[in-house]
Amino acid sequence: MSTVGSMKERVSEPMKNLRRRRTAVKASLAVSALTFLASCAKDAPQDTWQPAGPNAERIDNLQRPVFYVAGVVGVIVFVAVGWVIWRYRDRGQAIPEQTHGKPVVEIVLTVIPVLILLGVAIPTAGTIFKLAKTSDTEMTINVTGQQWWWEYDYPAVGSNAEQYGITAPIVTSGQLVIPENTKVLLRVTSRDVIHSYWIPKLNGKKDSVPGRVHLLRLEGAKPGIYAGQCTEFCGLSHSYMRMEAVVLSRADYDAWIANQLEAYTSPEAGTLAAEGEGVFIQQCSRCHQVNGLLNTDGTPIISAPDQYLVSGAAPNLTNLMTRNTFAGASWDLLTPECRGDVWKSDSATFGAKYLKGVTTDCLNQKDLREWLRNAPLKKPMYANPENLAPTGGKYRGMPALGLTEDQINVIVAYLLERK
Amino acid sequence: MTIIERPSTEVAIAGAVPVGVKPSEALGVFKRPAASSSWRDWVVTVDHKKLGIMYGVAAFVFFLIGGVEALFIRLQLIAPDGKVLNADQYNQMFTMHATTMVFLFVMPMAAAFANYFIPLQIGARDVAFPRINAFGFWCFLFGGLFLNSSWFLGGGADGGWFMYAPNSSTLFSPSHGVDFWTMGLQITGIASLTGAINLIVTILNMRAPGMKMMRMPIFTWMVLVTQFLLLFAIPVITVALFLLTFQRSFDATFFDVASGADPLLWQHLFWIFGHPEVYILILPSFGIVSEVIPVFSKKPLFGYPIVAMSGAAIGFVGWGVWAHHMFASGLGPVSVTVFSMSTMAIAVPTGVKIVNWVMTMWGGKLTFAVPMMFAIALVVQFTIGGLSGVTHAVAPSDTQQTDTYYIVAHFHYVLFGGAVFGLFAGFYYWWPKIFGRKLSESIGKWNFWLMVVGMNMTFGPMHILGLQGQPRRMFVWTKARAGEGFFNFGFWNRVSSIGSFILGIGILFFIINIFYTHKIKKGALASNDPWDARTLEWMTDCPPKEHNFDVIPQISHLDEFFHRKYEQNSATHSVSQVHSAEEVMAELNAHPDEHIHMPSRSYWPILLALALPVIGYGVIFNRMLLAVGVAMVLLTMFGWAMEPATSPDEDFDPPASGNGDGHTKELVPHG
Amino acid sequence: MAESAIVRDHGVSHVAHASSTGLSNNKMGMWMFLGSECLLFGGLISTYMLYRGRVSSGPQPNNIFDIPFTSVSSFVLLMSSLTMVLAVSSAQRKDDRNTNLWLTITALLGASFVGGQVYEFTSFYREGLGFTTSLFGSSFYALTGFHGVHVSVGIIMLMALVGMNRNNRIPGDKAEVVELIGLYWHFVDIIWIIIFTLVYLIPS
Repeated sequence: MSTVGSMKERVSEPMKNLRRRRTAVKASLAVSALTFLASCAKDAPQDTWQPAGPNAERIDNLQRPVFYVAGVVGVIVFVAVGWVIWRYRDRGQAIPEQTHGKPVVEIVLTVIPVLILLGVAIPTAGTIFKLAKTSDTEMTINVTGQQWWWEYDYPAVGSNAEQYGITAPIVTSGQLVIPENTKVLLRVTSRDVIHSYWIPKLNGKKDSVPGRVHLLRLEGAKPGIYAGQCTEFCGLSHSYMRMEAVVLSRADYDAWIANQLEAYTSPEAGTLAAEGEGVFIQQCSRCHQVNGLLNTDGTPIISAPDQYLVSGAAPNLTNLMTRNTFAGASWDLLTPECRGDVWKSDSATFGAKYLKGVTTDCLNQKDLREWLRNAPLKKPMYANPENLAPTGGKYRGMPALGLTEDQINVIVAYLLERK
Repeated sequence: MTIIERPSTEVAIAGAVPVGVKPSEALGVFKRPAASSSWRDWVVTVDHKKLGIMYGVAAFVFFLIGGVEALFIRLQLIAPDGKVLNADQYNQMFTMHATTMVFLFVMPMAAAFANYFIPLQIGARDVAFPRINAFGFWCFLFGGLFLNSSWFLGGGADGGWFMYAPNSSTLFSPSHGVDFWTMGLQITGIASLTGAINLIVTILNMRAPGMKMMRMPIFTWMVLVTQFLLLFAIPVITVALFLLTFQRSFDATFFDVASGADPLLWQHLFWIFGHPEVYILILPSFGIVSEVIPVFSKKPLFGYPIVAMSGAAIGFVGWGVWAHHMFASGLGPVSVTVFSMSTMAIAVPTGVKIVNWVMTMWGGKLTFAVPMMFAIALVVQFTIGGLSGVTHAVAPSDTQQTDTYYIVAHFHYVLFGGAVFGLFAGFYYWWPKIFGRKLSESIGKWNFWLMVVGMNMTFGPMHILGLQGQPRRMFVWTKARAGEGFFNFGFWNRVSSIGSFILGIGILFFIINIFYTHKIKKGALASNDPWDARTLEWMTDCPPKEHNFDVIPQISHLDEFFHRKYEQNSATHSVSQVHSAEEVMAELNAHPDEHIHMPSRSYWPILLALALPVIGYGVIFNRMLLAVGVAMVLLTMFGWAMEPATSPDEDFDPPASGNGDGHTKELVPHG
Repeated sequence: MAESAIVRDHGVSHVAHASSTGLSNNKMGMWMFLGSECLLFGGLISTYMLYRGRVSSGPQPNNIFDIPFTSVSSFVLLMSSLTMVLAVSSAQRKDDRNTNLWLTITALLGASFVGGQVYEFTSFYREGLGFTTSLFGSSFYALTGFHGVHVSVGIIMLMALVGMNRNNRIPGDKAEVVELIGLYWHFVDIIWIIIFTLVYLIPS
C-alpha cells in the first residue's frame, strides 16, 4: 500500500489547513483515514495492493473501487450511529411514538445496497472470466508443491521449446524464473497435501491439490523479484514454504536458460569441491538430483527420493547457486548485503545482478551450514527416524544427516560451483 | 409455590393410562431421582433454566480456555521468528483455539440463552423434550471435555479447524489429535442436533395462546432460524466426520489420493456445513441486540417483519454460498461467479439488519446501560466485518485476501466484534433475570471499554497485515517479508498482541464483576423489571419460578409486556404508562393455575451421554472399550425408553413432599 | 416426553396433541429428525456418486452387483412398509393383537432384508471388494452400511414396541408411538428405494 502511503505525503499540507476550517467531526474522519493510509509498511514484498503485472492489476482495478465504496458506506453508518447516539440520548424527552417502521424508508434502504452490489457484481463477473483465460498462453511451467517447497519444471515442449529454447526439461526449485511480458501458464499440482501458490504482486492465489492440476496465469510487467508464500495450511513447516518469482528481460532470460541447460562439469581434481563431489554422491544424491553426476562405472546417477520421502521428491540441486534461496525459499543463499543489492536494484540492472548467482563472497555461509548440520532443527520437519512408523519409514522433509564439519566444508565448496 | 398441587391421575391422562407395574421395580434399575437442593439436583435436572445456566457456565470456561490459547498465539507472533511455541504446538494451538471458540463457546453459549429464554419468551413452562434437552447439554459437556482431554493424551488436533484432507490423514497427522477432534465434534454434534429438534418443536408448538409467529420476540425468531440451520448443517458435518474417522481408524480410502480420491470432497462437505455454521454463530447475537436496542431506545424494533424475514432469508441463502471459502481451490470460473454473486446477495439481508437497528434508535429515548453499549458496539464492529466481507465476496479480490490476516480480521470483527459482543450484551441484559441481581454498571463499563479497545487493537491491525501479505496459520513470520518503515509487520503485530492482552483484561473484568456483584456487594435484589423491558420473559419473577409462569398469559401484541404497561394515545401518539410492572404481574397472577406438572428429573440423559466419550476413547485406543461404550448406549437407551410416563408418588426416593416439584407426564421418548 | 403443560392448563386438557400447530410435539420432532436424516443420506449418497467409478483395485460395480437378488430383498423391505401401515391402523383401532402381529411381521421382513444385506456383503467381500479395497468399496459399504444400521435400529424399536405392548408398558398414546416408529420405518424404506435406484440400477 505504499502507493497509497505516498499519496498521504502529497496531501498532508492542504489537509492541515482543512483541519482548521472544518468541523471537528470531519477533521477526525480525515485524520483517521490518513492514519490508515499512512500506517502501512513501505515496500512490503507481499503487498496485495502493488500489482506488478496485468493479472494482479486486473484484480487491483476491481478491488480498489470496492474498498473505497465499502469505506464510504462504513463512514456513513458510523456517522449515522454517532449522530443518533448524540441526538436521541435520553434528555428527559417523552417516550417516543411506538412506530413499527416506515415501509418507504425500508424499501429505499434495501434497494440502495442492492444497486451498489449490482454495480460491484457486474465487473466482478467480467474479471473472473478474464483471469481464467488461458487460450493465449505463451509459456507453460509445471509447478508442484510438496512439504515444504515448490518444484518448477519447465517442460521442453511446444512454445517452451520452439520460442524459448528449452530443449531439455529444466527442473528447479525455490525461484520461479519467467520472461517479462510473457503470458506464463502455471500448471499447479501437489505431491502430498494441499498447498497454495501465491505471488501477490503477479496474481491471486491458486491451491495446489494432489490429483488435480489447476491453472494459474502469471505475467510480470518488468524485471524484478517478487515474493510469495504458501497460503494453504500444509502441516508442520507451512510458515517455511515460501517462494520467489523472478522476472527477467528476454535477453537475460535466454542467458538464464542457456546456463540451466549447460552440461555438468566436475570440479577440478584435488580441490575441496572435488572432495565435496564424493561426499555429495555418498550422502546427498540419494534424494537430490544433480544432472550429469556419474557413477564410477560411468552411468548417470539418478536420485531416488521416492524411496526415502513421502512426497517422493527432493529439490534438484544441479544449478543451486543460480538461485538465491534454499530450503523452500526460507533462507537466503546470499548474505544480507548482497541480497539487498539484488532485491533493490531497478529493473534495468536487475537482470545482470541476478544472473551473477551466488558468488563466494556473497554466500550466506551461516544458514547453509546450519542447514547441513541439522536441517530439522532449523526447519521443523517430520524427520525423526524413531517416529516414522505411520509413513512406512519415509521422511517428510530432510533428515539430519550427521555430517562432520569437514564434510560440510567440502559440500559447501562443491555446492558453490553448482551454477 | 403453594398454589401448585400434586398431580392427580385425572390430569395426567393424555392417552392410555399405564397401569400396574411400578417402574423402578419393573426395571430393577434405580429409582427416579427426587428434587433436592444439592449438586445432585443439577446432575439429574431436566429444567431448561438450570440446563441453560450449566450451558452458560461450561461454555464460559471453554471461552477462557480458548482465550488462553489465543494469547499464546499472539505471544508467539509478537516478534519475528517467535520462540514461545514450536511449530507443532502452534498448529495445535490455532486448531484448538478455533474449534473451542466455535463449537465449545459461541454455539453452546447461544444454546444457553436459547434454552433459558425461549420458553420464557414464548410463554411456555418448559421445552418440548426436557430429557433430550438434558441429554444435549451432557453431550456438549462431555464432548468438549473429551476433545480437550487430547492435550493430555498425546496432543491436540493439528490440522486447523477446517481439517482439510489429505493433511488430516494419519500419514500427515499421526498423533491422535485429529481422532479426538472428529469424535469430540461428533459428540457435540449430537448435542446440537437434539437441541435443534427440541427448540424448533418448542418454538413452533408451545407458544402461549395468541402468540402468532409474527408476535414472537425477535430473539426467538433468530433462534428458530439458527436451529433450522443446525438441523440441516449438522448431518453434513456428521457425514464428513464419519468418513474421516473411517479413513483414520478403519483404513477406508475416502481421502486417499493414491486411490483416486478427490480432496475437494472434504472441502465441499465441510463448507456446506461450515458456512451455515457462520450464521449459526452470529444470528443468536443478532437476536439479542434486537431485543436490547428497542428496550434501551423505548421504541419497538424498526421493521420487525423485515428483520425476522431477513433472518429467514439469511437462513436460506446461507446454503448457497459455501464455495466462497473455496475461491482459490480451483473451481471453474462459472462456479466462482455464481458463488461470488450469491455471497453478495446475502449481504443485503445482513445490511438490512444494521439499517433497522440504527432506525430503531432513531427518534428514540436512548439510555446507555452496559447491555446497550455492547449492542451499539456490535452494530459498529459488525458493519466493519460485513463490509470487509463484501470486499472478498468479490472473488478475484478474495484470491489476494484468502488465507491472509485480512480474513482473520474479517471474521473476528464478525464473530468477536459481532457474536461475542452480542453475547456480552445478553449477559448484562439478562443477568438480573437469571440470577436476581444486576451486574455492576461501573465495573461493566470498564469491562466494555477494555473489550472495545482490546478487540479493535487486536483485530484492526490484522486488516493491514493481511492486505500487505501476511498469511495466516504461520507459526513464525519473517523480517524478510515484513516491509520497511516504522509501520511494518513488526509494529502491527506488536499492537495486535498488546491489544489481545487488553482484551483479556477486559474479559477478566467481567469475571470480577460477577464476583463483585454476588460476593462482595451483595446489593439489593433486582426488581422484576429492571430495564423497563418489552417481552414476555420479564413477566416472570427474577429469577423465574421453576414452572416459569403461574398463569400463561394470553398474547395480543408483539412486545406484549410493554403493551400491558403502556398505552399510546391514538390521536396524539403520546405514550403513557398505565400500569407498573408489579401491577401487570399482580393482575396476571391473580388466579394462578392449579395442577402444574413439571417434567421429572432423570438419570438417563447423563448416563447415555457418558457412554459416548467411552465409545470415543474406544475407537482411539481400544476396541474392547468401544464394545463397552456401545453396550452402555444400548442399555441406557433401553432404560430411558422404559422410564414411565407418570411417576406415581411412591416411586420417588425419598418420597417427594410439599411443592409438587419432580412430577412428570411424559410421552414416549425417541431419538 | 412432551410436556404439554400449557395446553392442559388452558382448558384444552385431555386432548392429546393439541399445540400451537395442531401437530403433537413427538410427531413434529420425528419429522424434524427425518428432515435432518435426509441431509445425512444426501451426504453419503453424494460421496458414493462421486466415487463409484473410481476403482483403483478390486471389482467394478457392474460386475459385482446381483440385481435380481437385491431386487427381491428390496421388494421384501417395501412389503414391510405395507405391514407397518397395517400395524398403525390396528393400533389406531386399539386392536392390540393385530398391532403386535403386524409389528412382528414388519420386524421379520426388515430382518430378512438385513440378512440379505449381510449375505450380499459377505459375497462381495469374497469376490474381492473390501471396505478398504477402493473408493467404490469404501463409499458403497459406508452408504449401504449406514442404511443397514438404520434398518436394524428400526427392527430393535419394533421388537421393543411389541414387548412393551404385551406388558402394557407403552407410555403415552400407544397409537401415536406406533405411528412415530412407522414414520421412521417408511423413511428408511424410501431412502432404500433411492439407494437401490442410484447404486444398483443406474449403471456408472
